[in-house]
Amino acid sequence: MTVSSVLVVGGGIAGVSTVAELRKNGFVGELTLLSADAVPYDRPPLSKDYLAGARDLESIALQPAEWYADQRVSLVGDTVAVAMRPDAGEVELADGQVLTADRIVLATGGRAVLPAIAQVRRDVPAALPTGKRRERPVVSPIHVLREVSDADRLRTSLVPGARLLIVGGGLIGAEVASTARGLGVEVVLVDPLAPPLAAAVGIEVATWLHGLHADHGVEALTTTVETLLESPTGIAAQLKGEPDSREFDAVLLAVGLVPEAGLAEAAGLETSRGILVDADQTTSHPSVLAVGDCSRLRDHHRAEHWEAAQLDGARAAATILGSPPPPATAPWWWSDRYGLHVEGVGEMRSPDAEHQTVVRGVVGEPPFAVFTLRGERLLGAVAVDDANAAKAARRLIDRAADVRASDLADPTQSLRTLLRR
Amino acid sequence: MDTGNSTGIRVASVDDIPEGEGIAISSDITGTEDDIAILRDDDGTCWALNDTCTHETASLAEGWVEDGDVECPLHSSRFNLKTGKVDGLPATRDTVPHRVEVRDGEVYLFPNERP
Repeated sequence: MTVSSVLVVGGGIAGVSTVAELRKNGFVGELTLLSADAVPYDRPPLSKDYLAGARDLESIALQPAEWYADQRVSLVGDTVAVAMRPDAGEVELADGQVLTADRIVLATGGRAVLPAIAQVRRDVPAALPTGKRRERPVVSPIHVLREVSDADRLRTSLVPGARLLIVGGGLIGAEVASTARGLGVEVVLVDPLAPPLAAAVGIEVATWLHGLHADHGVEALTTTVETLLESPTGIAAQLKGEPDSREFDAVLLAVGLVPEAGLAEAAGLETSRGILVDADQTTSHPSVLAVGDCSRLRDHHRAEHWEAAQLDGARAAATILGSPPPPATAPWWWSDRYGLHVEGVGEMRSPDAEHQTVVRGVVGEPPFAVFTLRGERLLGAVAVDDANAAKAARRLIDRAADVRASDLADPTQSLRTLLRR
Repeated sequence: MDTGNSTGIRVASVDDIPEGEGIAISSDITGTEDDIAILRDDDGTCWALNDTCTHETASLAEGWVEDGDVECPLHSSRFNLKTGKVDGLPATRDTVPHRVEVRDGEVYLFPNERP
């Protein structure tokens, strides 16, 4: 059966990528994009330039405003879906309106994890039954960072001399620490792992990256938060292992995301830590697909990276069009902190009998890159201020090229030439 | 340096630009608003685009040139070498292409002329 209409629920990179790829590849039917915000925007700047006030909402739009009309995409903004009836191809909106389509693509993203810290837990409003939940702590100095409204709210706290506690030293926690320091904020960052991100970038790079916090005046502590309590002057945080609590003006909880699977779950689709999908992004219902952070490929972890969500959209579009999927490629991500650009590709492994770690340049002296090799096959790379090393590594991984450690380690040897062998 | 617009501005020898890479030419030389990136595709052909990525502020001359596109070194936005059109997000605004000509192994740039 030819698909003549597609409804995409969610205006993040996965949803916008789905509609863009459908049109780009010749879909001529009706295309509707449902967005919780007026105009879909890009999330990575929310912890960086947007939070710093260096970019505005218009400049982080995922597409220019006129793009939707140009592409004949009906953008339904500022609204959320509250129910889905897959057999009828129906999605019900918050205002009672019902939209129908031959295919529904769920791109509902995720929401920030709220850790089990007593005060935070108590103030969380009851979750709405379905759709894009706006669940967040209501105590005003406690923040999460997922949406532009979160960033706007957090920014009002980031004034010179303010005391900010960041819970979680992963990518978002670290990026906000960097942005906040740039704004003259006093930052304490806690994470139970020493260092965070070791699985993603390897222990050596993770240790150096985490050390940058102290170099830039952040107090980085390996501990957890036991309680967060309102106090007359802000928030009192009791850190594990400390005799007294500490006072903060604001707290950011950056400990991960929960996939937004409520709509699918209520409609009886299979979910388990995300809406379960096959490799072609199809859910357990044949006319419903899911992409991006709300979805999880069966038997895999969620990727939770920007480009992974974009590629999900491209795959979903190919499935709907019945065309071949885009070629598989090693996962890729980037992050920026303290003026340094970090990229990761593929998978990093600790050195052991099978795996070798190769350093190009010197760890801690950008530009440099670190690689994981298994025999003569490259598995992963992390590059700091050397994006082209990551791009070359990605292609070497994708082509399963034979690579010698000595070539990777030699900074005078262009990695690009290794691709031409 | 030859600056006559009819013959173009000689900006480099082709051999100075490895295939798949680029060099930036200062706006002091090109007389344009932005610096201009001379980009050499992996088939050896040379192209020119405004140097600053339309997404943030990275230099496209430091990007990855392949199969008719340049990929920004920061977030991998892709631009068509010939037309300057966006071929991949996160950039959404097209950039400006300029005409280049290769004569006797030298690269001549014609700022603000369409390729």
